[in-house]
Amino acid sequence: MLVVDDEHAIRLLCRVNLAASGIDVLEAEDGRQALELARTERPDLVLLDVMMPDVDGWTVARELAADDQTRDIPVVFLTARAEAADKRMGEQLGGVGYLVKPFDPVSIGDYVDDVLDRIERGERDELRRGITSAGEP
Amino acid sequence: MSTAAGHDAADRAGRLQRVAELLAEAVTPQQVLDAILTDGVRAAEAHAGAIGVLDEDGETIELLAQHGYSPEVMAGWASFSLDAPLPMSDVVRSGEPLFITSLAERNRLYPALASQGRDGHALVVLPLAVEGEVFGGLSLSFDRDLEFEPERRELKIAFARQAAQALARSRLYAAEQAMRRRMTFLAEAGQLLGSSLDYNRTLRRLAQLCVPRLADWCAIDILGPGGEIERLAVAHEDPEKVRWARELQERYPPDRDAQRGVANVLRTGEPEFLPTIPQELLDEAIGDDEELRRIVDELGLTSSIAVPLNARGRTLGALSLVTAETHPPFTKADFDLAIELARRAAVAVDNARLYREAERGANAARALAYVAEGVVLLDGEGIVRHWNPAAAAITGVREEDAVGRPVSTVVPAWEALTAHVPLVAPGAAARPVTVPLVLDGREHWVAVTGVDFGQGAVYALQDVSEEHALEKARSDFVATASHELRTPLAAVYGAVRTLRRRDLELSEDDGEQFLEMIESEATRLARIVDQILLAGQLDADAVELELAECDPSEVAASVIESAGLHVPETISLSLDADGAPRISCDEHKLRQVLVNLVDNAVKYSPGGGRIELRVRGNGNGSCVIDVVDEGLGIPPGERERVFEKFYRLDPGLTHGVGGSGLGLYICRELVERMDGRLSVDSEPGRGSRFTLELPAR
Repeated sequence: MLVVDDEHAIRLLCRVNLAASGIDVLEAEDGRQALELARTERPDLVLLDVMMPDVDGWTVARELAADDQTRDIPVVFLTARAEAADKRMGEQLGGVGYLVKPFDPVSIGDYVDDVLDRIERGERDELRRGITSAGEP
Repeated sequence: MSTAAGHDAADRAGRLQRVAELLAEAVTPQQVLDAILTDGVRAAEAHAGAIGVLDEDGETIELLAQHGYSPEVMAGWASFSLDAPLPMSDVVRSGEPLFITSLAERNRLYPALASQGRDGHALVVLPLAVEGEVFGGLSLSFDRDLEFEPERRELKIAFARQAAQALARSRLYAAEQAMRRRMTFLAEAGQLLGSSLDYNRTLRRLAQLCVPRLADWCAIDILGPGGEIERLAVAHEDPEKVRWARELQERYPPDRDAQRGVANVLRTGEPEFLPTIPQELLDEAIGDDEELRRIVDELGLTSSIAVPLNARGRTLGALSLVTAETHPPFTKADFDLAIELARRAAVAVDNARLYREAERGANAARALAYVAEGVVLLDGEGIVRHWNPAAAAITGVREEDAVGRPVSTVVPAWEALTAHVPLVAPGAAARPVTVPLVLDGREHWVAVTGVDFGQGAVYALQDVSEEHALEKARSDFVATASHELRTPLAAVYGAVRTLRRRDLELSEDDGEQFLEMIESEATRLARIVDQILLAGQLDADAVELELAECDPSEVAASVIESAGLHVPETISLSLDADGAPRISCDEHKLRQVLVNLVDNAVKYSPGGGRIELRVRGNGNGSCVIDVVDEGLGIPPGERERVFEKFYRLDPGLTHGVGGSGLGLYICRELVERMDGRLSVDSEPGRGSRFTLELPAR
């Protein structure tokens, strides 16, 4: 999977903890790099920060959804933006999850596995709607 | 003619000549009367004399003076009709002298006198005439019967002629004197009335001016707004009596419906003149009140005048004058003077009131013209009746384009603007409602209150766009600060959670990175918290400076050194410190400013580039430090605004440039507290240069 964050610390946290769950991690430190890697590497899932220089997370999600090659890659937002309006934005952009910083990196691997299982079971829309209706994992 | 008779005749002529001289010397009517009735009567060999004159209406003869008659004889003869069957009435009427030689002749001619049983002897009544016009008569009574020879008759007629001329002259002189006094009085009163706009005070002084020159008493009453009678002034020479009068006024307040006196004058606007105050009038007023009777008797009121203060068809008050113990009863001339005085006083009061009203109106207009709130007055139909300059400034609609037109056409958004503004009753507390108003594409926020006064509504508008923007910036700040705090917190929390994970064996390198992460992110967190606190202290003016000599080049070098530890690899830092002077400043604060400026340069150089610190002296001992980057730059319109609190070049934060929006605000505040200046020059897309200038000490 692909972890996108301009903060080195957040990328490191995700990489180490996801690796412990046996998940391979690609890293992008800005939006442009994220789009490139998504197109070339076709990750199973994108963990996406919102506030990044130049090309932000909202733009990345919008462009991924607009591109046939990347449309099906599930996006989970991982952001410091915690307001309801932000979560609605995440839902509208087709996200399947929304994690608010600070988050618990220890459970991130299980969370990603669970999301992928449910997508496998065809619950993608439920996941999307869950962004605004349900609480956090 | 016998020698004795000739001697007598010469004697008489000589006496008459002396009286003529006395008459010529007499100036006042009293002196003339004295000369006629003492010297003249004696010269005429009479034992008594009296002088009567026609009054103003020409129907009554008033006895001016007498000499030699006993009071009982004269009682009841103070005045009598011109038509009465009396010797003097006949003479004044006919203009012909009357010589009665004996009591018998008198009784034959005037049976009325005979029937009264009065005795007497010869009687002469002579007309007093000037230029053919009879104005009175002079009677001379003798203590024996006398035949008047033609020569004696002539002498008496000549005496009457001289007396008439002297009397007429003195009366004319007296009238002129009185006229002069009145004119002087009116001039003084006029000056007084024109001296001040405080008409209450002026009227009080006018009452003082009237006593004792015009009357013994003077009172001025003013009609209040509710028709109540307010006694503004009472004047008498004796302050003790003024106190009495005040007490009387309190104890017997005026009846507004009274048919006589001040109340009547105020109600009808017509003057009232009582040359003598009839006793029955006093009795009526006194009633059965014995104390009041005692007081009124003691006052000894003789005549009164009450004249209205009329101006522009309205009665404003009344001027009352009363004669009592010293002043002779009022004449028609006094009445005319009082009317003239009241007319002038009324004009003065009216002018003062008009001036006050005009001034009040002008002040109200001034207040409306300069008040910061927009004030809009609508009539019952929603037509704009007033639109002050502030309303014009807020709405962008000029007064001349608004007044007289329906407000809905003046400001199309008016309905929407006021839809949520409750109209309160006059005097009730009106809470402003803040609503957006889009004018010419610009969004304003306007706080509106409305008062419904029955015939329309008054709205007060206040442009609170700035406050609203500040409030929005504050809430943006909460969102931004939240992000700025959450990110390092996420790193610290995440690192600790990961380090404590038992199922995970971290490589030595990763473990080291996690510890470093905790340290640096905790430091970052602390710095953001510091900034928020510092901004609060700056706001409260609670920041203290510790001034000491320092080398700005050294401070700059250490800032570059520590920044080098955490900037991205795409950014190169350099220092150009060439012979900068040592200055006196708070080294810690200077470091804070430079760290902020360098952090800012790094933040706004997402594509990397060079960031340079240039430190130099500018000749006058002050030190100039430039922080130059090659980053995003700042659009021209925003260069000053970047120093505003909570201002962010990128409020949406969508470009990921984090920050509290406080950094540059703190920098400028700190620099200015060190008497320095901080400015910025920039070219969008090419970078920015922040210039910090600190003075020599």
